[in-house]
Amino acid sequence: MTEYFVKLRYYPGDALEEIKERDLRSLARRYGIQISYEKTENRQMKEGLLMESTLDKRIEDITQEVITVSGDREGKFSDCIRALYKKYRCPRTAYSLLGSNEAGEKIAKGLMNIYGGW
Amino acid sequence: MKVLALNGSFRKNGNTEILLKQALMGAESEGAQGEILRLTDYQIGPCRGCGLCLFRENVCQVKDDDVSFIFSKVNECDGVILGSPCYFLELTAVIKQLIDRCWILGHQIGKIKKPATVIVPYATRGWIPYIFVQSNILLNVMGLTKINEAAICTQGISEVVLDQEAMDLAYRMGKEIAVAIGGKDLTYQGEEGVCPSCHDWLVRILKDRETIECPTCGVRGKLSMVGGKIRVKFEEKAWGDNRFRPEVSYNHYTYHIAPSKDYFLRTKEERKSKSQKYREYLPG
Repeated sequence: MTEYFVKLRYYPGDALEEIKERDLRSLARRYGIQISYEKTENRQMKEGLLMESTLDKRIEDITQEVITVSGDREGKFSDCIRALYKKYRCPRTAYSLLGSNEAGEKIAKGLMNIYGGW
Repeated sequence: MKVLALNGSFRKNGNTEILLKQALMGAESEGAQGEILRLTDYQIGPCRGCGLCLFRENVCQVKDDDVSFIFSKVNECDGVILGSPCYFLELTAVIKQLIDRCWILGHQIGKIKKPATVIVPYATRGWIPYIFVQSNILLNVMGLTKINEAAICTQGISEVVLDQEAMDLAYRMGKEIAVAIGGKDLTYQGEEGVCPSCHDWLVRILKDRETIECPTCGVRGKLSMVGGKIRVKFEEKAWGDNRFRPEVSYNHYTYHIAPSKDYFLRTKEERKSKSQKYREYLPG
């Protein structure tokens, strides 16, 4: 059985609406899939902007919200990713799926082309 | 009060130059001092994609051309009039070449309170869809605020002087710039397009076939038909996603560009191995 596992890394400004754990739990129930959420916050207010130095940091350590989705049914997994992209839009960067497995990444990337803007 | 005209036309005394000079005369009537740079008279080399301007603040590897001189002229002036002919659907190549070199100015996006206006002479109606995309990008990355824009239908060299309405418009636009500088008022005075931010009429349909985007600003909205008319609706909260707002621009650099260094470094061995055959194939 194929396991689909993806980490969607949203950086500040990427998600078009606030990511709420309550909404993620609701999506997990609807699609019968596992979703977890983790937030890293390292910004500080300077000159009226929330600022952070990221140039020499590990990708995993900078400010971000990570939605982790996993499941073993391709259709449900795809539908859930699609719903996340429709709600928040897809993550923006070339490294936004870092930590995903190959099967999950293939689906998440394919759907980005549809829901991510081009 | 200095107003700088940037001319994207190679032709001397052509329609673009005439319109720009007419606009400068308008600005001078309001007390401004005019200057014009024909961009094709200067060396504007291609961006080498080295990333130094992004990964080492304010350093451009290309030092043997005139781009820093052009940027210094823009920084010295109080307002800009950008002109370019449209030869093939968009502005001339020198404008795009300059846009590509503007990464080094990223830190000033949205922070410089200077007005700019755009004048584009063109020959055939319907052959100019992208002219204001490029001018919007250039002005935004230079940190300038567009207060007006005009596309003027004219063809042969210097023929625009026969079009008094166009000449009057250019003069007025020049006056507007000087008045905007004097009054510190950057209110947009041109025709409203569909995008509330860049005022262009272009929209891009996303592949979900439900969402539209302003391709320049990146702001998302919806299309609908109301009373037989196309309605383009951008929610007010979506305006905040305009890629040329200082916060969005800052986030783009801080979270989309700078962390790529870590990804680049950690994929070094795999990249080296997988790209070997391309280094060996047709070596340049």
